[in-house]
Amino acid sequence: MSFEMWAEKYRPKTLDDMVNQKEIVERLKSFVKSRNVPHCIFAGPPGTGKTTAAICLARDLYGGAYREHIMELNASDERGINVVRETVKTFARVRSIGEISFKIMILDEADNMTSDAQQALRRTMERYTETCRFILIANYSGKIIEPIQSRCAPFRFTYLPREEHDQHLRQIAEEEKVKLLDDGLDAIFEVCSGDLRRAINTLQAAASLDKPVDAKVVYSITGRANPADVQKMIEIAMNGNFLEARKQLRDMIQKYGVAGSDIIRQIHTEIFRADMPEQWKIKLADIIGEIDYRLVEGADEEVQLSALLARLVEAGYELRKANMV
Amino acid sequence: MYAAWTVKHKPKSLKYVVGNKEVIQKFVDWVRSWEKGIPKKRAAFLYGPPGVGKTVTVEALANDFQVELVEKNASDYRTESAIRRFAGLASQYGSLFGGKRIVLLDELDGLTGTADKGGVKAITEIIKSAQCPVVLIANNAYDPRFSNLRNYCLLIEFKKPPAGEVMKHLKRICAREGIQADENALKFIAQRSEGDVRSAVNDFQALAQGRKRLTYEDVSWLGYRDRQETIFTVLRMIIYGKTCVGAKRAVDMADVDIDMLFEWIYENVPAHLTDPHDLARAMDALSIADVYRGRIRATQDWSFTRYVIDYMTAGVAMARQNTKTRGWIPFKFPGRIRMLSRSKAERAMQLSIGYKIKRKCHISAVRASKEILPYLRIIFKNNANMAAGLAKWLDLDPEMIEYLVGSKKKAEAIIKLLS
Ligand SMILES: Nc1ncnc2c1ncn2[C@@H]1O[C@H](COP(=O)(O)OP(=O)(O)O)[C@@H](O)[C@H]1O
Ligand SMILES: Nc1ncnc2c1ncn2[C@@H]1O[C@H](COP(=O)(O)OP(=O)(O)O)[C@@H](O)[C@H]1O
Ligand SMILES: [Mg+2]
Ligand SMILES: [Mg+2]
Repeated sequence: MSFEMWAEKYRPKTLDDMVNQKEIVERLKSFVKSRNVPHCIFAGPPGTGKTTAAICLARDLYGGAYREHIMELNASDERGINVVRETVKTFARVRSIGEISFKIMILDEADNMTSDAQQALRRTMERYTETCRFILIANYSGKIIEPIQSRCAPFRFTYLPREEHDQHLRQIAEEEKVKLLDDGLDAIFEVCSGDLRRAINTLQAAASLDKPVDAKVVYSITGRANPADVQKMIEIAMNGNFLEARKQLRDMIQKYGVAGSDIIRQIHTEIFRADMPEQWKIKLADIIGEIDYRLVEGADEEVQLSALLARLVEAGYELRKANMV
Repeated sequence: MYAAWTVKHKPKSLKYVVGNKEVIQKFVDWVRSWEKGIPKKRAAFLYGPPGVGKTVTVEALANDFQVELVEKNASDYRTESAIRRFAGLASQYGSLFGGKRIVLLDELDGLTGTADKGGVKAITEIIKSAQCPVVLIANNAYDPRFSNLRNYCLLIEFKKPPAGEVMKHLKRICAREGIQADENALKFIAQRSEGDVRSAVNDFQALAQGRKRLTYEDVSWLGYRDRQETIFTVLRMIIYGKTCVGAKRAVDMADVDIDMLFEWIYENVPAHLTDPHDLARAMDALSIADVYRGRIRATQDWSFTRYVIDYMTAGVAMARQNTKTRGWIPFKFPGRIRMLSRSKAERAMQLSIGYKIKRKCHISAVRASKEILPYLRIIFKNNANMAAGLAKWLDLDPEMIEYLVGSKKKAEAIIKLLS
């Protein structure tokens, strides 16, 4: 029995295996060829191959023993200034033995570094340029301080286009003997929007259910507001059971991690489909809009949405009363 | 109306009195010995901490043996003459109709003032000539006031029953009330009571009355017990407040901070405001209070707090226009806080799994615990084989596996596959 996370199993080993990001790959290959690498910033959305590219570059450059020449440090776990000072310095200052005279320091998720730590890093980069090259990886290069940016060659990663995304996933599904249906693939792309790590993880989690991967399976495992759940919650509220409706809301937010904005969007859609007097729909739309705005402003999702639920309870009550006369 | 469960479910027979088995046997043997004639010690002195079952033991025994119990406690014999009158009962052979009787003087610690000296002396004399079993009860038999009295008594010490025994009693109440309670919920209540069965029963009633099910989450907030009374008063002032000023004043009484008070109100408003219009108005007021909290965060200007208070107290009080006052509705501990405090330990667990993932997947532990862990959870719940493979690959501990599958049994099945 051998299992790993598929995202890892299918992580490209060399630059040649990378999917898409053509221009980037070409430039990186030219570094390998010239046996020289400048400081770099790899910026772009998650799951597009930034970390992969950095490791592939190192492997292509140093060969099998590449691990001796690189160090991976993750700023999200070690954000402090001391780590940069100590770890980075210790690593950077000792010269590499071998044909290539510099090592590579991969600073992943660098946009999570404090600006103090970045200042310290800048000095270190300058001082040890001879012996160490830095690859900074970030989602937003804007969060990297200007003096560092100006010392680095920028690389912009983009989400994989639909075709290559599909092709890659189909290939994995085939290798793993998973039946991946077209609407399942649509759903994965819809949910992960080209983030390959998430896409592959979603595929693997869906496959663990041991049935063909279709849209239903995909939605069932991704914390998206399931339209059916939202519909049910509205119904419960309109029937007058506020406490139960609030409980469902709480579960959606806290247990399944559904975003409030996602829920309110669904409620908005549902209201206009619902069977109620037209005047009520527009009245509720006004309330929904106000609450949506408050959420954008950072208000408490459950408190705001449950105020909306209370309005639905009221609406249901009024409707029943009107129907009785 | 609700009857107190300490009375409603008071053991009517010794077999339902929990704990202190040997001690009770000693007492029973002594009472039995009266059948063969008057024993050397004509009184038994039961002592020990409150709420462990001293009184109930005597009552249950009287019931089991079908003897008349003449029961008085300190407030009934304040004066010496009252004691003498009452004690006369002990000097007769039995009741009018020839039955047997036991005389019980309960809560002797309560003997105070002028009755004190003469009172104890009077009791001692009664015992000397008693013709039926006399039982004395106090928390502390070694009080100097009782030093002479003690010589004439068989001393029987009640100890605090262990939590397991207290649980037995709670389980009996569950059965009689038709409540399904989690084992660990009962255990929590029992342990917290530290052997005081009375307070365990009172806690249990406050939490379980009117429910069919009681989970651990429902009880784990009991730690707040001392504050409970105040917060309940505060909530009452707000939810049932008639004036804005009155509702607002409640905030000064609360010994929790504004955010916590908000949670208490937010949790409890719906059960107390059942009219849909009232409810909508109250939830609206709370949502506006929340908007002002946001404004405080955005501006760091704490003077906005006064509007938060206006809406969460006066706003809620004024929402109440149609709801009629009904019977007693219990206040509940804020459910969201319960979830949050649980998630603190949970976050630590998630992060440690995140570190395991980090070692394999070139991603920070922080992000792994947020982005990859949810997928693992799905896999672990659905596919034991894949789960076992991944557990091995990631080198997960048994607790981590259990956390991911969410059940001990399933975790064991996965661990079995590992070897
Ligand atoms: N361009 C790509 N080509 C092939 N696989 C990719 C690519 N981008 C992402 N992946 C897949 O997604 C996973 C995560 O990619 P990674 O490079 O760590 O993303 P990030 O851009 O967030 O650093 C990899 O293990 C790999 O399986
Ligand atoms: N050991 C026990 N077994 C069952 N119930 C008990 C026990 N101890 C106390 N209780 C409950 O608590 C109430 C008060 O107990 P009580 O016998 O008056 O305590 P004490 O006299 O030791 O202070 C009883 O009515 C009963 O409901
Ligand atoms: Mg990465
Ligand atoms: Mg008592």
